[in-house]
Amino acid sequence: MAKEKKLIKLIDICKQYENEEVVTKVLYDINLEVNKGEFVAIMGPSGSGKSTLMHIMGFLDKPTSGTYYYKGKKVSDFDEDKLADIRNEEVGFVFQTFNLLQRTSVYDNVNLPLTYSDKKIGDQDVIQAIKSVGLYHRKDNLSNQLSGGEKQRVAIARALVNRPEIIFADEPTGNLDSQSGKQIMEILQDLNEKGNTIILVTHEKYTAEHARRIVSIIDGKIVDDYQVKKRLIAKDEKYLTK
Amino acid sequence: MIKKLKNLCKIACGSLLRHKLRSVLTILGITVGITVVIVVLSAGQAIEDFITGQVNQFGTDWIQVEVKVPSAGKTSLENVGGLAQGVTITTLKLSDAEEIKEHPNVRDYYAGNVSQEIISYEAQNKLTMIFGVTAGFIDIDPSELIQGRFYTEAEDKGLDKVAVLGFGIKDVLFGQRDAIGENVKINKQNYEVIGVMEEKGSAGMFSMDDVVYIPARTMQKRILGIDYITFIFNRIYDTSIARQTADDITLIMRDLHNITDPNRDDFHATSAQEALEMLDTVTGSIQILLLAIALISLVVGGVGIMNVMYVSVAERTFEIGLRKALGAKYNNILNQFLTEAVIITFIGGIVGIILGIILTWLISFVATNYLGFDWQFYFSIQYILLAAGMSVLVGLVSGLYPARQAASLDPMVALRKE
Ligand SMILES: Nc1ncnc2c1ncn2[C@@H]1O[C@H](COP(=O)(O)OP(=O)(O)OP(=O)(O)O)[C@@H](O)[C@H]1O
Ligand SMILES: [Mg+2]
Repeated sequence: MAKEKKLIKLIDICKQYENEEVVTKVLYDINLEVNKGEFVAIMGPSGSGKSTLMHIMGFLDKPTSGTYYYKGKKVSDFDEDKLADIRNEEVGFVFQTFNLLQRTSVYDNVNLPLTYSDKKIGDQDVIQAIKSVGLYHRKDNLSNQLSGGEKQRVAIARALVNRPEIIFADEPTGNLDSQSGKQIMEILQDLNEKGNTIILVTHEKYTAEHARRIVSIIDGKIVDDYQVKKRLIAKDEKYLTK
Repeated sequence: MIKKLKNLCKIACGSLLRHKLRSVLTILGITVGITVVIVVLSAGQAIEDFITGQVNQFGTDWIQVEVKVPSAGKTSLENVGGLAQGVTITTLKLSDAEEIKEHPNVRDYYAGNVSQEIISYEAQNKLTMIFGVTAGFIDIDPSELIQGRFYTEAEDKGLDKVAVLGFGIKDVLFGQRDAIGENVKINKQNYEVIGVMEEKGSAGMFSMDDVVYIPARTMQKRILGIDYITFIFNRIYDTSIARQTADDITLIMRDLHNITDPNRDDFHATSAQEALEMLDTVTGSIQILLLAIALISLVVGGVGIMNVMYVSVAERTFEIGLRKALGAKYNNILNQFLTEAVIITFIGGIVGIILGIILTWLISFVATNYLGFDWQFYFSIQYILLAAGMSVLVGLVSGLYPARQAASLDPMVALRKE
């Protein structure tokens, strides 16, 4: 039982980029455990390695050294197809740079993960995901006709559509005004309350306040990891702001 | 499964439509290749039909004996070269023909020489083919007279100066006037015109109407001043033993010419069947050559596709990375690009098949109606299947490497390429 709760376990994860004789060390001996159902915020200054860590945890990149256990299994033992399956069905990833397909409608962008999925998820769920980020009126617009905040929300809808267990969100509110940012945080919080594990990167203290746990990274090292006793924003308060 | 196929086609068509001009140009490359394949296949068939048609005009009930330079294959360059260089074989005689005639399966024959001479009437001159053949010609050859009569054996043996004009020669020399009973000059001698042949049309480049027939012996003595001939054309009764008869004739001839070593043969006997087989080899190699040309143009088209696919992969690195990041597997990406390549070549193939049919029909129409060839419009469903199969194959082969490159991209590396 206890083993099953442990979703992610990183042991001594290091990452360095090597290109044209320049070696950039980004992550140093990261040890981190995330349990099922947690809502973790990762914070840290620009360039501290937050996105790099997210990519490794999100099965998009591989550590230079160290071991990553996912549901008790070594990720380094998974083959490419297995990783693709996990990315498709178990993980939703919101990229810092949105990464939408150009000249492609909002609907098709959100629908993209389903192209590769065996899950029985239909049109209605795509529409539902688009509605949940408040973009139903834009569903037929091409992605390059959207504002930065709208693109951000399409990226979130795309991460939600295949009903993943874990959602990685790399600064999902970075391009949003505080009102829209709040809406996104509420969506994530709802998902968390339904049992999803949420791991998000954020700069803003304000958005981090939705999280139950805050991990701080500086220069590729975890410098702080603390549990928030109770959510700072009371549940009722979000109804008040509406 | 069907949903996945539909998805593949949707993605592929979408990307093809985004680059319309490029897609059209690539499709054109394959279209040209497939058009050539179709035309070549039909042309090969038409050439074969044409040649066998020419041979079949003479029926299959014959054996021809021709002179040959000793110790040379019958069709070898040495033989053709030897004869062309003026090595003259003078050993074949009309008496040989009489002896061959004694074989029970030989029905009749004609024999003689062919030469080119100037024939003239009043102010008209024309260089023409003179057939100096024995009287049996008119019974064996399918051609008929439209006027007068052919010469007799008695006239041949009497070295009579009589001539039968081909339709075209009669027209050139006499026009609408009656030629029978008139004298034409061949080699400064007067020949009485006793008959005119019906119009035969042309056999390819050579018009069978621009020919004059005179008795074989008259030709030997009065024009060429020789006592030999160059060919004997025998008609036989039973075609099922043609090969055996040809072998018999070879033995008879060796006996007549005192030849013991087959390598010293100064003649060759060819049956209709053997001639057809030889022609089959020739048309076969022509078809293979044409097909090779067609394949080369397909390869060129294929290289074009490969190029476009590589460009497409390079341009869409980000898209590929994103798809992989969202769960696309190696095979998903591979199939996506292969589908794209195959759609291009398949469309190119279909257009090529249509163009090929139109072009083939046009060629046969022009050849038959304006050039006088009997070029049949020939087409079969097998050609369509073959061409369609080839176009799909070209797509798969030329799409494979770019598709593999795309499918192997690392998602994170690809995503940074935006
Ligand atoms: N492909 C790469 N090659 C070389 N260095 C890289 C590469 N990707 C990231 N880096 C470097 O790694 C460091 C950490 O980058 P990362 O994107 O993880 O930072 P971050 O914490 O997400 O920053 P930000 O808050 O600005 O998004 C940076 O110094 C960056 O220059
Ligand atoms: Mg970042």
